[in-house]
Amino acid sequence: MIVQLLEQAARRAELADASVKTDETLTLLFESGRLKRTSWTEERGVSLRVRAQGRLGVAGTTAARPDHLVEAALASAAVGEPSDLVLPAPSPLPPVRTHSPAAATASVADLAALGQRLVERLSRDGWQVSATVERSAGSVRVANSRGVEAAYDVTGVWLGAEVTRVTGDDILMVGDHYAAADLPDEAVVARLADSIRRRVGWAERAAPPPRGELPVLFTPAGSNALFLPVRQACLGKAVLQGVSPLGGKVGERLFDPALSLTDDPWLAGASGSRAIDDEGVVTRRQALIRDGVLMGFIYDLETAARAGVPATGHARRTTFGKPSAGYSNLVMSPGAHSWDELVARIPDGLIIDDLIGVGQGNVISGAFSHPVALAYRVTGGEVVGRVKDAAVAGNAFELLSRVAGLGREVERRGSLSMPAILLEGVSVAPR
Amino acid sequence: MKNRLRDALKSSRADYTEIRLERSVATAVTFRGPRLEGATVSTDEGGFVRCLNRGCGWGMASFTSLHDLPAMVARAHELSRAVRLDAPILLADVPVREEDVALPLGGDVRGIPLDVKKRHLESLNALMLGRDRRIVDTQASYRDEVVEYWYANSEGTLLSVLRPEVNLSAVAVARDQGTIERALESLGRRAGWDAVQRREPQFLDAADRAVALLDAPRVRGGTYPVVLDPKLAGVFIHEAFGHLSEADFVYENRPAREMMTLGRRFGGQHLTVGDDGSAAALRGTLPFDDEGTPTRNTVLIQNGVLVGRLHSRETAARLNEAPTGNARAISFRHPPIVRMTNTYIAKGEGTRDDLFRDIKLGIYACDAQGGQTYLEDFSFTAGHGYMIRDGQLAERVKDVVIAGNLFQTMDRIDRVAGDFQWNELGGGCGKAGQGPLPVTEGAPHVRISEALVGGSVA
Repeated sequence: MIVQLLEQAARRAELADASVKTDETLTLLFESGRLKRTSWTEERGVSLRVRAQGRLGVAGTTAARPDHLVEAALASAAVGEPSDLVLPAPSPLPPVRTHSPAAATASVADLAALGQRLVERLSRDGWQVSATVERSAGSVRVANSRGVEAAYDVTGVWLGAEVTRVTGDDILMVGDHYAAADLPDEAVVARLADSIRRRVGWAERAAPPPRGELPVLFTPAGSNALFLPVRQACLGKAVLQGVSPLGGKVGERLFDPALSLTDDPWLAGASGSRAIDDEGVVTRRQALIRDGVLMGFIYDLETAARAGVPATGHARRTTFGKPSAGYSNLVMSPGAHSWDELVARIPDGLIIDDLIGVGQGNVISGAFSHPVALAYRVTGGEVVGRVKDAAVAGNAFELLSRVAGLGREVERRGSLSMPAILLEGVSVAPR
Repeated sequence: MKNRLRDALKSSRADYTEIRLERSVATAVTFRGPRLEGATVSTDEGGFVRCLNRGCGWGMASFTSLHDLPAMVARAHELSRAVRLDAPILLADVPVREEDVALPLGGDVRGIPLDVKKRHLESLNALMLGRDRRIVDTQASYRDEVVEYWYANSEGTLLSVLRPEVNLSAVAVARDQGTIERALESLGRRAGWDAVQRREPQFLDAADRAVALLDAPRVRGGTYPVVLDPKLAGVFIHEAFGHLSEADFVYENRPAREMMTLGRRFGGQHLTVGDDGSAAALRGTLPFDDEGTPTRNTVLIQNGVLVGRLHSRETAARLNEAPTGNARAISFRHPPIVRMTNTYIAKGEGTRDDLFRDIKLGIYACDAQGGQTYLEDFSFTAGHGYMIRDGQLAERVKDVVIAGNLFQTMDRIDRVAGDFQWNELGGGCGKAGQGPLPVTEGAPHVRISEALVGGSVA
């Protein structure tokens, strides 16, 4: 069907590309420790882009009427921006595993058993446990008028749990999740439960917030405030637009030499993996930071053409709207220290596991100021309890230019693989 | 379509079945700087089925292919039967009704050519770009939608609603050497083309504010009396309090229910808070929620006392309270869950300047750029702000982030002015993977006697 659609479009346009995505998702929701809701979702969407009279147009629909879609894309092109976009030619694809037959055929009973095992491991008096188990199976087809025609199957499995403990007006919520193409084995289930139990355990006691410029250990889950600015600043579009503080600085050592960050679309079975992007460009590993040196940015076809660089294979496309660049799997290289060693290096400071309000404000500048959602006080190298009324602030780019220690265990959560990171001189204040 | 719904319901073997179908046409136009990012028309259609059997859980199915409807009803029934519950799910009674409602389209957007929409936004965007040489980037977007919506359940309710929505937003980015500042303006209405006319002042405001912020000093972190403008006060009440009023937070959680016991004191005599899905033509306005329950004005806090909460049929039955018409889904892709509609702080007395008068040193925080709550803890980023000195509005400051604890902060609201307004902002609310849901907030100026304001916090 994608081929006929392109043929129709190519008769009236200079070039055309399209993607067709299907998805079938089964979701089980456990509330208060018991299976409560089961849902099924099936979706099919087509996205078409054309260039007519030198102008680009896009259209998308979930209704399967391709003739209507060509009209809509041409109407969009009639008012569209002039573009010299060049579509990629067919090219061999690297082998990337994105699909698991066992995950694709997992039944309600299989998933219910998986969720039940996680919930049981977390069952305690006074703990309210919610859990989600999900598996999706879908297909992606990408084609263009230069002869690219690729198709692959994808699966995705999500297993997550959250424990809520309410004592008076005090509320504690601790969660963790697994996301990948494959079904998790029992070791993964045990690890998730341990990770949640350990952090609820640290919160058994309350600790007073410290004050000052202090060492702060960010867990992989807690390091969003640090890496969101980096992610935004490495988007080719932000650089083009002149709003990235990293623009024009490729080749400069802007970060601590311990830091290496790569976008890796070829990780077997990882959430963001794929051999070809949604514009038909073959994917590749793209270093963003290597040994502290800024290496490059990510682009889709349009931003790459405007920047005069090759596309990096990062285009993502939904049914509605035009393609835009997005990361596949971000992988940070591990450091030298075990978790215990990192904690032991803190005379007085914090462990940050979750912050409130990450993503608000002028993120790309690197400046952040957030109250803690989940944080623990460390004194003399020991976790002494949960800190509630505290806020942390700093500039991510400045702080990442001097790293006091990097964990050697890299945790993969969906498309992010990060170690723990210890920074010094983070501004901490009681609230 | 109605016959299709009746036939599908007849085919269902479940004790309770409900079906929603939607067909929408949407237009989106976006400019980034002087460039058109895109101008597109999209069509979306699909449905959602939910089944419930005695002693079983909910079974749900959503789909984009309408000819799958009978198969999806069977699937939802099977999925319901896969879940066995000790405590049965009950649904509070809602009167059965058949009704067709066409909300006022306010200038039907479907009759306006794409080119006209594009040129309208282009001229608004050009106002920002031309305002000052320090405006280096802009983002202007326009979005409209008309949804044909059908709802039917096995109790006999059969509804159809024609509902419009229109959104306009402006982001201006100003740069002066290394300093980059942004300012946002947005509009969201359950209305049409007429609502986006004469919006030039908002686009100029965004540009002027971004430039003004370049030279504004960062606010000095600390504890201050803070006056919230109606926009920020509205977002505050939605984020910090509204979410705790959603009954799905408490209905299966005894400690949370105790925390939110009706009759508990929440602030002073002067504080009244509610949620009104029946207010006219606002973003969160609808005749019925996505369970077919009529919307209404639900008072949550009456003169400082917690008196109500927001319900779906399920949470209402569980807590033995009345359904409030707050079960909403962002689209046919999702189940209805307890959500807000148009949430407000009712007006008090006096003006903004009355609230400033006895403040020696304080902050006037305006516009919400973002807000997040972690249950009782919240953090809000104001779009901009001013110092209040000796009872007077003084210099502009930036990076105003207000953080606090809900219970403390509600108690510290010591004045509520009489200048109520509905905000009509764009954006929307996110919860449980469903966002942005069209909601709006309303409030007058509100004063908090003491709040933590972060800039540099150490």
